[in-house]
Amino acid sequence: MTPKISLRNVTKRFPVRSGADASAQGTLTALDDVSIDVPPGDFLALVGPSGSGKTTLLDLLAGLTEPTSGAVLVDGTPITGPGQDRGVVFQQYALFPWRTALANVTFPLENRPVGGVRLTRAQRVQRAREHLELVGLRGFEDRYPHELSGGMKQRVAIARSLAYRPDILLMDEPFGALDAQTREQLQDELLRIWRATGTTILFITHDIDEAVYLGTRVAVLSARPGRLQAVVETELPHRGHGGDIRSDPRFVRLRHEVWSLLHGGDRLVAEERAVA
Amino acid sequence: MSAAVVTGAATAASRPAALPRLARRVGRTAGRTVWGSAAIVLFLAVWEFAPTFLLTPATRVFLPPLHVVLAAGWQLTLDGQLESNIAASLSRAASGFAIAVVVGVAAGLLIASYRRLDAFLSPLLELFRNTAALALLPVFTLLLGIGETSKITMVAYAAFFPILLNTIAGVRGVDPLLIRAARTLGVGRARLFAKVVLPAAVPTVFTGIRMGGAASILVLVAAEMVGAKAGLGFLIVNAQNSFLIPDMYAGILAIALIGLAVNGLLVALERRFSRWRAPAV
Repeated sequence: MTPKISLRNVTKRFPVRSGADASAQGTLTALDDVSIDVPPGDFLALVGPSGSGKTTLLDLLAGLTEPTSGAVLVDGTPITGPGQDRGVVFQQYALFPWRTALANVTFPLENRPVGGVRLTRAQRVQRAREHLELVGLRGFEDRYPHELSGGMKQRVAIARSLAYRPDILLMDEPFGALDAQTREQLQDELLRIWRATGTTILFITHDIDEAVYLGTRVAVLSARPGRLQAVVETELPHRGHGGDIRSDPRFVRLRHEVWSLLHGGDRLVAEERAVA
Repeated sequence: MSAAVVTGAATAASRPAALPRLARRVGRTAGRTVWGSAAIVLFLAVWEFAPTFLLTPATRVFLPPLHVVLAAGWQLTLDGQLESNIAASLSRAASGFAIAVVVGVAAGLLIASYRRLDAFLSPLLELFRNTAALALLPVFTLLLGIGETSKITMVAYAAFFPILLNTIAGVRGVDPLLIRAARTLGVGRARLFAKVVLPAAVPTVFTGIRMGGAASILVLVAAEMVGAKAGLGFLIVNAQNSFLIPDMYAGILAIALIGLAVNGLLVALERRFSRWRAPAV
């Protein structure tokens, strides 16, 4: 089966100004030779310390930048820019503050035909209402973003990205700015939506618990340059159905495995020990 | 039984309390209104009584009490002088201001969009911006005469800069994240401007428009005082030269009230277009 998303030896370098001498140009390797396949309907969580090129990877997949070398494929075809097969959810919500919750969700529907058909105004509003309801925001259609809490804003952003029914949802630390309780609530809602829609999700986070809890697989990146260290399969059947899965021994073991991958292979830890 | 007694006592106690609460709220609002206008009332009272009781008859001529000024204003209104001069001033201010809005917003959008144009024009604009508009009044008068053209040009010039600079700031200040989000949501480069940049810049642009509006009235009156055949500035200077001192004060009062009204209108307009902004705390 063709993977939904496929990264083939993807490397991304940026020119940087180094230190005090502003004229000296160096390059920063954000991603180094990353290859990974994501099958359709998978929920891949991507963990890595800061500087591991997580956001660079997301930008590449979103079509906002191009790789220095290697290929980014969706359904076996190289991507050429942003497309309606992919939706992006950002950490800072990125809602348009001059639009109400409903108008934020209709926004993508105004820009391109959905499934080859341009929706009428009434159809767009109808579709947006359905998706606001899907994320549990019925009754908040006419609120402006500044009138919503952080969790609600992120719900609107998720509804907005789902409204044109993309096959892939790319999420860049979407719950990172939320309080712990709201975060757990939204994690379960996301699992529910994932099961209901069958969307392939690539979820970036720096939170190991979140990665293990959400992902069917967890990809671990190392920092500077960002390299793929390992992909951990998680088989936790009862995620998102209530119950305290996080204290399940299997969860704890997986969590530790990912933690070791993030820290164990790290030279810094060895150096710290040497100093101590 | 005892519960009923307690409830009865509670309602009995709260019912008379309700009236004083309402009265207190009315009282507080009234108090705030009184306190808020106390300074103005005091000022008007001083204006009314100080000339009569504190000034000698010789100096009283130069600062007539309020009722004399109001009577003069009423007389000017009755014979149509005040209206015609207000109309002359407002039509000039409106024309110049309209030109400044159109040119300022358009130029601001262009300059903010093209870095090279910005680098080319910015030094020149900076030079002009720091040249007081009134310093150029003689130039405009020499080149364009003392007619309408020079006044309208003056107003447009003075209102242009705040509008231009705020438009540039508004466009530049658009959150790059919103642009990234819009691109992932299917907005092409061509429509990005209309769908994201422009709406995001609107509140800042309107701040510029409000500032431009205030500047246009300010400059216009000065321009009319130097050389004009009509307008409030002309009315004031002409009254002074004809020794019609109450008329002069009536003109000044009219300018103050018009300035207040224009500013109120522009603030309301600005607020209307910035409704979606989180209220500043």
